[in-house]
Amino acid sequence: MLGLENLTTPKILPLGAVLFGFLFLLTAIPIEAYVLNQRLKFDKKTSTFYAISINLLSSTIGWVIFFLLEPVLPLNLKSELISYIFFNTFRSEASQGVIIFTAFTIFFFTFFMKFFLLRFLILSLKEDWINIYTKTPDNSRLKWRVTSIARLQNTNLVTSILIANSLSYSVITIIIFLSRK
Amino acid sequence: MQTLFKDVLLLFQFIVGIFEGTRKLFVPKKAYSWQTLIYLSFYSWGLSLLAVGYVQIIIAFLGWLFLIAGTAWYTTDDPLRVPGTFMPVGAVITGFLVSTFAFGHPEDVITPRTVVLWPTISGIITAIPEFIEGTETKTTAKIPKPEVREKIIVLVASCMLISCWIQFYFVMDNWLTQYPTLLTDNFDRSSFVVRIAEAETTEKNRIPENGVNILDGIQIKVEQQLNKTPWSQVERWLLDATNEVSNLGNQVINQKLGEYEESKLWSTDGRVADIPSGYRLDLLSIWLGPSSDPKGYFLQKSCRIEPIAVSTRTPVSLGQVAVKNTVAEIECDRLSKFIADEVPARR
Repeated sequence: MLGLENLTTPKILPLGAVLFGFLFLLTAIPIEAYVLNQRLKFDKKTSTFYAISINLLSSTIGWVIFFLLEPVLPLNLKSELISYIFFNTFRSEASQGVIIFTAFTIFFFTFFMKFFLLRFLILSLKEDWINIYTKTPDNSRLKWRVTSIARLQNTNLVTSILIANSLSYSVITIIIFLSRK
Repeated sequence: MQTLFKDVLLLFQFIVGIFEGTRKLFVPKKAYSWQTLIYLSFYSWGLSLLAVGYVQIIIAFLGWLFLIAGTAWYTTDDPLRVPGTFMPVGAVITGFLVSTFAFGHPEDVITPRTVVLWPTISGIITAIPEFIEGTETKTTAKIPKPEVREKIIVLVASCMLISCWIQFYFVMDNWLTQYPTLLTDNFDRSSFVVRIAEAETTEKNRIPENGVNILDGIQIKVEQQLNKTPWSQVERWLLDATNEVSNLGNQVINQKLGEYEESKLWSTDGRVADIPSGYRLDLLSIWLGPSSDPKGYFLQKSCRIEPIAVSTRTPVSLGQVAVKNTVAEIECDRLSKFIADEVPARR
């Protein structure tokens, strides 16, 4: 990746791709911010921040994976990919299955990614970073309570992210279907 | 008279102001300033032109460092911010210089990588001062406050996403160089890309050059094989024309399109038809790759193969017999036809 050809005058611009990316972010961020605000009881500002960052970061990671996979795709898949991006059609009927499979993979992958990103972000906003790990309660009973609260929060986090991700993906899918020419 | 004098005075003051401003910009007040660094970079550049070998490389390297440090300093002095963000314009300029320095080559200074990583590097440069605490003389590392962390994370993430979009442009540009046949198609139906250099969609432009090259190559090979060969042999060749043509076609494709990835998306075929004077051989080069027309398209070049009698005198005996030998003559169309349809069935 990255080291491609020399710079030449552009023949085509990915204007639509960028606008679509922007549109998807604009739809996903408010939806996910609302879900995080409602279910996890973050205040409005924090949940907006979380929604913005998990979406920006997960789409960045998604693009990077695309750039890594694109050069090693088999020729027929690559040809279908080019066909979809340049001409909005597929050459063969068999691609339908591949698309559905890819969509599923992307959905679950973003779900996992958003979950881990959110956990990382919550950690990164803690006031005293260094002291988190040093201050473990000595009392074993207290420790157990703390971990069980953490576990409860964790399951809540998983379901919230799953709901948020499903909602935003449903809306995006509707947009894709509506925008089909 | 008085007003004219006033005007002249005003003009004079104006010019002096400009001069003062320029002087202030170019002449540093003290040695420890950003102008010094910029001058040092020019100095290094001049020196590096004189030097050779690795000395030149080292001096040029130092020159880059001075230039980056100088611009970084100048632009942090007076931060003019990119609208809507807390990113100073200076960070964008410094980011570009760092990116050029890190990923440029001596021969072509700005590479795709430079452009792709420019936003990300600028974002990181914007974030760095937030991690440094202290006055101009004494600095220590610090971890910024949570609100600042939020800002930094959103900014760097957006910059990385912009980098991805730029990279996507380069990926598509690479497709167009690897699959030049795509450029002959029209991109109107795409919802992702916009074509800038709008090609005139005449019939001539529509014909992909690589397909024509393939057919021309096959034509030469077929003519070499069939011209002046005995008619019976030619008829045998024509019976198996599809195989013969695609064998020749593969040779031609490997030879002419080996450098492109699209070579695997071309296939060749032959069709034979009876005509009153002999046979017609249609050479086809078929595009299997992406196309705006779901039926695809192919190029066709027709050749007429006719028997001609060649009399050779064989000096056998006195009673000379003119032995008639029938050989083939092949004549092909000069131009290839573009047909946007499915390939005709084999007979």
